[in-house]
Amino acid sequence: MPSLAEEKPALRHLSSIDGGLVIAVLLLSAIGLATVHSASSEMTVDYLPRQALWFGIGVLLLMAAMSIDYHVLLDFSIVLYGFSLVLLVLVLVAGIAHGGAAHWARIGPWQFQPSEFAKLATILVLARYLSGLNRRVLDLQQILVAVAIVVVPMVLVLVEPDLGSSMMFAPILLGMLLVAGVRWRLLLIAAVAAVVLAAGMWSFGMKSYQRQRVLTFLSPETDPLGAGYQVRQSKIAVGSGEMTGKGYMQGTQSQLRFLPVRHTDFILSVLAEEWGFLGVLTVLGLYALYVASAARIAMRARDRAGILLVTGLLSVLCFHVLYNSSMVVGFVPITGIPLPFLSYGGSFTLVNFVGTGTMLGVDLRRYVNR
Amino acid sequence: MQVVREHREDLIGRVRLLAGTVTGLLVLIASGFWFVQIAQGDYYRELAENNRLRKLPIIAPRGLIFDRYGRLLVENLPSYNLMIDRSRSVNRERSLAFAAAVLGRPVGDLHDLLERYRVVPVFKPVLLAENMSLAEVARFGVEALEYPEFEVEVQQTRLYRHREQTAHVIGYIGEATPDEIERSAGAVAPGDVTGKKGIEKRYDPVLRGKDGERVVVVDSRGELLREYGRVPSQPGKDLTLTLDLELQQEAASWLDGPEKVGAIIVMDPRNGEVLALVSSPSFNANLFTHRLQEDDWQALLDAPNNPLQNRAMQNAYSPGSTFKMVMATAGLSEHLIDENFRVSCSGSTVIYNHSFRCWRKEGHGSVSVRQALTRSCDVFFYHLGERLGIERIARYARLFGLGAPTGIDIPGEKEGLVPDNTWSLKTRHQRWYAGETISVAIGQGPMLLTPLQMAAMTAVVANGGYRVTPHIVGNLPYPPPRAAGLDPHALAIVRQGLWGVVNDPSGTAYTAVHLPGFDIAGKTGSVQVIAQKVRTKAETLPFKYRDHGWFTSFAPESDPRLVVSVFCEHGGSGHNAAPIAKALYLKYLTIEANNSSHAVAR
Repeated sequence: MPSLAEEKPALRHLSSIDGGLVIAVLLLSAIGLATVHSASSEMTVDYLPRQALWFGIGVLLLMAAMSIDYHVLLDFSIVLYGFSLVLLVLVLVAGIAHGGAAHWARIGPWQFQPSEFAKLATILVLARYLSGLNRRVLDLQQILVAVAIVVVPMVLVLVEPDLGSSMMFAPILLGMLLVAGVRWRLLLIAAVAAVVLAAGMWSFGMKSYQRQRVLTFLSPETDPLGAGYQVRQSKIAVGSGEMTGKGYMQGTQSQLRFLPVRHTDFILSVLAEEWGFLGVLTVLGLYALYVASAARIAMRARDRAGILLVTGLLSVLCFHVLYNSSMVVGFVPITGIPLPFLSYGGSFTLVNFVGTGTMLGVDLRRYVNR
Repeated sequence: MQVVREHREDLIGRVRLLAGTVTGLLVLIASGFWFVQIAQGDYYRELAENNRLRKLPIIAPRGLIFDRYGRLLVENLPSYNLMIDRSRSVNRERSLAFAAAVLGRPVGDLHDLLERYRVVPVFKPVLLAENMSLAEVARFGVEALEYPEFEVEVQQTRLYRHREQTAHVIGYIGEATPDEIERSAGAVAPGDVTGKKGIEKRYDPVLRGKDGERVVVVDSRGELLREYGRVPSQPGKDLTLTLDLELQQEAASWLDGPEKVGAIIVMDPRNGEVLALVSSPSFNANLFTHRLQEDDWQALLDAPNNPLQNRAMQNAYSPGSTFKMVMATAGLSEHLIDENFRVSCSGSTVIYNHSFRCWRKEGHGSVSVRQALTRSCDVFFYHLGERLGIERIARYARLFGLGAPTGIDIPGEKEGLVPDNTWSLKTRHQRWYAGETISVAIGQGPMLLTPLQMAAMTAVVANGGYRVTPHIVGNLPYPPPRAAGLDPHALAIVRQGLWGVVNDPSGTAYTAVHLPGFDIAGKTGSVQVIAQKVRTKAETLPFKYRDHGWFTSFAPESDPRLVVSVFCEHGGSGHNAAPIAKALYLKYLTIEANNSSHAVAR
């Protein structure tokens, strides 16, 4: 029997909280707030106060998530997962009723994206499922179950239609399966399957505007006002920042409104223009610190569930960072994928803080016997 | 504790692999940035400096708004703003002197303005003057070569042709707030205008259309060379209101002036079409179409009686004696009284050991329900109230639509209050006090309704028991009139009593409203603002202590097609509200006569 003292781990080990993770999050958020302010200075609406509010709520949620034992979360994961699926279906139905895309659920004056919530729920369910499979490598049937868990919400988000958010489910599956253990041969087969699936999506699953985006990525000149224009303007903003940037609030590209959605998806362009390559390096360095800290937490977690949970959370965040920063310099097609802790956004900011809080919660409980 | 083999080392190894891969990719991306920012930095810097592309919005024209006969109420006008690009000004003093001369303003003003823009990057054009005349625009055009720093920006503004007269119905537009942008889920972008009040707000998605944009190539001086690409705009849709401009103006004129505070609703009781809706004091909606001057705004906020508040639907008041029509219907429907039932009024009565006075000290003698309505006998309704009790009164009030929004298509409607025991326990934490029922029986006490609810309630009496949804925009699928669940026979008797109010010499509105040849039926009402021991003449009291006055009515009695409800805040009594209603019926008859003679002429 564990003693009473051991049942209250969080407070006892608060001093052992992972400093790297916390510092990375705080610095990135501070940079984000300043850049959002600059990006929105020409927009008649300053998004800084609202983003500051999200940041404040985020910190509270982080502490809340940290204080909950993740085993409790895992116990409830199926309920949360079911609830999130219901929400996604409701939003879908409401969207059809309004004759258009609706990614938002509304509770009184509050709106949020159920897809963000579904991401967390999916990670929890998958962590619970995979942690119960006590094997070195997974067999095919187990992999298919894992795939099914992820694909259901993914498809619901895709038909909303919200391509960007649905893509977020892929790294969950990939990262967690990889860590849970799959044969290389299977990965190879999966890669082939993915290509086939992508081809199928192209033909049947994508809306014309989505196809258009991919096309313009391949040849930007075909659509001067659409994605091609955006990529070009973003590259001009980034490139003209050079080594040290044009100075805070002095970016001609962003201040002159050349950049689209510069306070959300293109926040990094604004930063790159105003702070130069050094600014970009700082931000990417902070993300590297975040990744290293999160990986350390995963590696010293006390059980399989903890490792997998942190892996899932980290995978999504990494995908956001890698995709968004590649998009800004024109490596990948433009789609609505914001940058964690930097981009303006309510649901998205909160989810990142909750995710980080959950990681810290796993870390705090690394010595404790359940 | 059970020890399980978790293959921990395998998992840890793979996490390390994952993190390593990600770090590697981060390095790769960093080198991508290095390539764009350092290796190609000069190239992109040059592109940024000579960015020849300018993205210009193509503003979608907002839908126009017409009255029921197609008369234009709201239109769009271009407004010319003067912008200055300070980076292109060779000599700031000389620039400002020129602008000041053209605009006829002191140079110092413009200096002060520019001082405020000091934090704005110098290459960003800033606003120097709004709403310039065409002559001024021409001057800047002619001197464009000499003063390239000035740019004239064309902006669409809204012109509300009838200013104060329609302001509370139509509302106004303004720059979207972050909240509105977020709620619109993509339809409204930062910098866009959006409906803030009234029809402009409620039907914003219909009126707004969709902005387009064009990208143009400019030379190094900013002159337009050619178009690079364009997405056309989709104009907003026009709206036709049920409002009759002539009636609306007539109604507004009656509440125009100091100490004229109140609301008027003219409505068709058959379908809920609102022909006029006025709230006074009002405001000039055109003030909001420019980036509002702060002192104008402050003046509106400081103005007495809050002109920004739509009294027709955002303020709730006691119904006063007009509530007697609900009481009479309830009593008759519940068979507590019939049309022959009589009460003797001696000027006061004692109920629950408390003396309740009739407004008429001498009393009304023996009165039936019809006479009690016609002469507004309080004592009759005190006794009826005692028999009905608060729960039944509340039930019937709700059947008439009180205590719930009418569903009008102007946002911000208040629901009023129908008090009962549940309400009393919830908000006052005590049981309903039976003595209060007696006050409620003559429309005093905590019962509250908006002037619009008053009109909707009158419509139920007028049309024989159907609830209609008041609305301002025509040709939309509104809920059809639905039976309120009231006894038609009871309503017929009430209508006769209300007919007497205007057409029987003993009626309380006979002198003020009687119109030979046109059967108007109605009910007066006064609401005490302060308790008065001795009735004083309204004129001798300070304005804010005077009674509120109601007059609600419908016509013609045989087949009502018009409801007119008038509320005068501190109007003294219903006697001040009643003549306004009469004037509106006269106006309506004139309009009707004109329309039919036009029809004949055609």
